[in-house]
Amino acid sequence: MAKKILLVEDEEVMINLLQKKLIKDGYEVLIARDGREGLRKMKEIKPDLVLLDIIMPAMGGFEVMEEKNKNLELREIPVIIISNSGQPVEIDRAQKLGVKDWLIKTEFDPQEVADKVVKQIGK
Amino acid sequence: MSSSVKKIKAKKRIDKIKPRALFESWREISLILAAETSLKEIIKKSLRVACQAISGKYAAIMFESKGHLRIAADYGFPVDYTEYIAKEQREGRITIALEESPSGIAFQEGKQVITKNVYTDPRWTKLCYVGKRYGYGSLVYTPLKIKKEPIGLILVYKEKTYKTEEEAFPKAEQEFLVTIARPIAVAIENIRLYEKLKEMNETLAQRVSERTKELEREKEELEKTREATLNILQDVEEAKVMAEIERNKTLTIINNFTDGLLVTDNENKISLINPRVEKIFNIKNSDIVGKIIAELGVFSSLNPLINLLAREDRKDKEIFREEIKINGEETSEVSVVPMISGKEQVGALIILHDITREKMIERMKTEFVSLAAHQLRTPLSAIKWTLRMLLDGDLGAVTKEQREFIEKTYNSNERMINLINDLLDVTRIEEGRYLYKPVMTAIEPVAQFVINSYKDEAEKRKLIFELKKPEKELPKTVMDVEKIRLALQNLLDNAVRYTSAGGKITVSLEYLKNEIEISVSDTGVGIPNDQQKRIFTKFFRASNVLRMDTEGSGLGLFIAKNIIEAHGGRIWFKSEEGRGTTFSFTIPVREEFKEFLKEF
Repeated sequence: MAKKILLVEDEEVMINLLQKKLIKDGYEVLIARDGREGLRKMKEIKPDLVLLDIIMPAMGGFEVMEEKNKNLELREIPVIIISNSGQPVEIDRAQKLGVKDWLIKTEFDPQEVADKVVKQIGK
Repeated sequence: MSSSVKKIKAKKRIDKIKPRALFESWREISLILAAETSLKEIIKKSLRVACQAISGKYAAIMFESKGHLRIAADYGFPVDYTEYIAKEQREGRITIALEESPSGIAFQEGKQVITKNVYTDPRWTKLCYVGKRYGYGSLVYTPLKIKKEPIGLILVYKEKTYKTEEEAFPKAEQEFLVTIARPIAVAIENIRLYEKLKEMNETLAQRVSERTKELEREKEELEKTREATLNILQDVEEAKVMAEIERNKTLTIINNFTDGLLVTDNENKISLINPRVEKIFNIKNSDIVGKIIAELGVFSSLNPLINLLAREDRKDKEIFREEIKINGEETSEVSVVPMISGKEQVGALIILHDITREKMIERMKTEFVSLAAHQLRTPLSAIKWTLRMLLDGDLGAVTKEQREFIEKTYNSNERMINLINDLLDVTRIEEGRYLYKPVMTAIEPVAQFVINSYKDEAEKRKLIFELKKPEKELPKTVMDVEKIRLALQNLLDNAVRYTSAGGKITVSLEYLKNEIEISVSDTGVGIPNDQQKRIFTKFFRASNVLRMDTEGSGLGLFIAKNIIEAHGGRIWFKSEEGRGTTFSFTIPVREEFKEFLKEF
């Protein structure tokens, strides 16, 4: 059974691209278009990995992490941040919240994202 | 003539003496002495009366001076005799030694002496010819005495010679002369004393007059001095008035100045503040003037200023300028300017310039750029990813031609991303929240990492790359590794970009006293002389590189400079157009880095 990846992202193009890439690599990809939806779907489907954007409507990436950490069932799900920003202060905060990796969109490409995913949960 | 006849004649002459006439003469002399005050007149008149009273031919007066007797005055001397005496006396010949002559005896012994015949008197032999020449044969010397002390002699001369003294000068005549000698002597002495007194008096008067003149002069001097003093005082008064006017002018300027002004004296006491300062800190003039700034902590609004003035690094700077927040809202730029008179510092002028509005505008600008940059990144990453997936064949096969176009578009997009990244860096530099992660680390691996990332590029451009490092290991120091990498990367980027094929790029590391120096040398195009000054300016690109390549943002060196300076280091360069450029920077070796910002 394919591993489930929850992609929490509001940018349609990015969703399309990543979805395509990850499905091609053999993963099952579920989409949430804001933080709140992401948190709800996390509880529903218990994904193997979460790809999380930071700046989103309704609920931002950091708030999602904080809520997720309060929930014992969700706590252990690994998270990789994919963001347009990448200030050291943001990365620090994310690390303290237990995220596994941080990718700045302009500095990485979909292949590198796929590589990071493999590194976290394997094929 | 028989002797008897002569005797009778002599007798007759003696009988001719009339006591009454002598008395009259004495009375006359008494009157002269009483009436005359001039010594010359007394002597002259007395000699005349004495001479005539006893039928003498001449009369003279002698006074003693320094052991010699001199004729002081005469009555009846022929002119040539007076001249002769004067000449002889002048030449010292006629002065009479006291012991040897009748005059000397008369003076010494204080008694009357008579020479009855100048030709026979043994005391007179030497001088008898004088008497012959000037027509006298006998004479009598009568001493002038004061309390038995002789002061001179009265001499009366007779034409003829006599055989006896009595015959020459009868007893009555002798007594008459002795009688008149006494008051004459007294009168002479009195007059002498009077003259002396007068002289003394005159001397005194002269002295008084001289002293008076002197005083007069002194008074004049004083007057002049007083006048001069008054003039000075007037000048001072005028200067004071001028100073007052100037002071009022200055005070008006200070009071109406839109900047806050504080003046301190050399003891750090506040000597003056203007109304603006009262408003800024919400304090009263009387609260702080005359007090030491450091002791004004009770006024909480003053604390940022107190802390600023206490800073040690302020002291090495001629003019110290720093921003402070007042009451947590307003921002003031504080300038501390030393006031120097001669070589001595007499105090300081503290100027508070309100830059709240400027700060706000700056912040808005920064926020705008930051937001714009973030917003720009989102579509750029979408483009980047799409193109990447197209190129990777993830979205289906593309033709060779399509691939070429997509590649070019991808590269353009990358440049755009780099520009945006640079802009974001600049924005953060200007917000003062740039350095973030200080870690203790060695520089060498950091440099090596950056050099390695340029290896492919260097090979492609046919450039020789060299890393020079000292044999001894370089010490570790505190730095923000990401930022140092970025600074070095910016320098290498320029070196690689602006050096043509076959050129050489050398990175050298060196440990100098308390700092590490890193240099990047190239054999590239160099920086034109006239543009070297502006090389670290934001968005500046030299004209020669602008022609070569259109990609640069003009931000690389600006960013590098800010990174190095934030670490407490320095950055500089040497360049010759057409020959190459060497950029060098230092990082101080230290274990702590207070200036690192903890948050942004």
